[in-house]
Amino acid sequence: MALRELSSLEKYLGLKKPNKYSTQGDKKVPVLQNNNGPPLVGLVTIACHLVKEAKRPELLGDSAEGRAVVQQWLEHRVTKLDGCTKEDTKTILKDLNLYLQDKVFLAGNQFTLADAFIYFGIHPLIVEMPIQEKEQYVNVTRWFDHIQHHPGLRHHLPPLVVLRNRIYTSRHH
Amino acid sequence: MGFGDLKSASGLKVLNDFLSERSYIEGYVPSQADVAVFDAISAPPSADLCHALRWYNHIKSYQSQKSSLPGVKKPLGQYGPAGVADSTSGPAPASKEDDDDDDMDLFGSDDEEDAEAARLKEERLAEYAARKSKKPALIAKSSILLDVKPWDDETDMAKLEECVRSIQMDGLVWGQSKFVPVGYGIKKLQISCVVEDDKVGTDILEEQITAFEDFVQSMDVAAFNKI
Repeated sequence: MALRELSSLEKYLGLKKPNKYSTQGDKKVPVLQNNNGPPLVGLVTIACHLVKEAKRPELLGDSAEGRAVVQQWLEHRVTKLDGCTKEDTKTILKDLNLYLQDKVFLAGNQFTLADAFIYFGIHPLIVEMPIQEKEQYVNVTRWFDHIQHHPGLRHHLPPLVVLRNRIYTSRHH
Repeated sequence: MGFGDLKSASGLKVLNDFLSERSYIEGYVPSQADVAVFDAISAPPSADLCHALRWYNHIKSYQSQKSSLPGVKKPLGQYGPAGVADSTSGPAPASKEDDDDDDMDLFGSDDEEDAEAARLKEERLAEYAARKSKKPALIAKSSILLDVKPWDDETDMAKLEECVRSIQMDGLVWGQSKFVPVGYGIKKLQISCVVEDDKVGTDILEEQITAFEDFVQSMDVAAFNKI
């Protein structure tokens, strides 16, 4: 899973030479073995490295605050989202929905790694979500649909069809 | 298409609903469509229109690059949800209607005729109103048939009738009367009257008639017809 995300990221970044990754431990933490240096362990670490390699620093945030927010979301992805239980997903989605109420992207006004990895992480949850829940988490659905159409991002994940017509006209703000 | 009047609350609400499931007006990247709608809004939307406000703040951050955003600016009526009445293209249909009128203007100088017709109509209305005010308004009237019963057969029926007819009220006109035998030599007075509903009611009549206690034992309404 993580390896596919990293290769997707590579494609998005336009890196010419795909890296070879290995995994370690039961959690299958990705490891990137560089020729000249210590191995990089961890999804977030490798992702940040790739971004720097591709010379796209803006993907990590455009300001100090932006960068901090991006790191916060990346950490959130690895610690909270991966391997969370069913009850946790509800809380996570609720928080995300509230957070996205007044934001188009997770950090700042442009696409960042935070958007990419939260998108990768949430994808399996959203795919299984019934329509009623999707309409309940209005902002998450909106943001998700937006990110999955971001040019060049979606490689290994199937697109999610988002219905434009509300089926459940229940309370929504 | 279109959002309605974006300067009004209803138009902003349409925009808000539209943006609840979209990040941009068109597509998934900021474009001239967003610029067009952004320019049409005079002030940031209020906080309760959270989606519109989110979009507004986001597009505001692109102000410096707004001319370089992709796409072509189209008139506002081209954006937004289908099925919303397009209020931006107001002038267009109006002029179309004028054209139609000209085409069908077979009798010529319609305007003049209209003025003439309007004047005539007003004259006639005035006349009608005058006539109507002179004519007495329709008054609701009823014809009531009363049965007045004496104490016994000794009672002087003529006197009784006289008493009843002596009752004078505004809107009360006595009519015909006759004596109807009810048995044992007793006769009742059946008298009719025409009353104006507004001014006279049967209860008042009853009060006044039974006031003649020497003669009248009771009174009944035998018949009540509206005229």
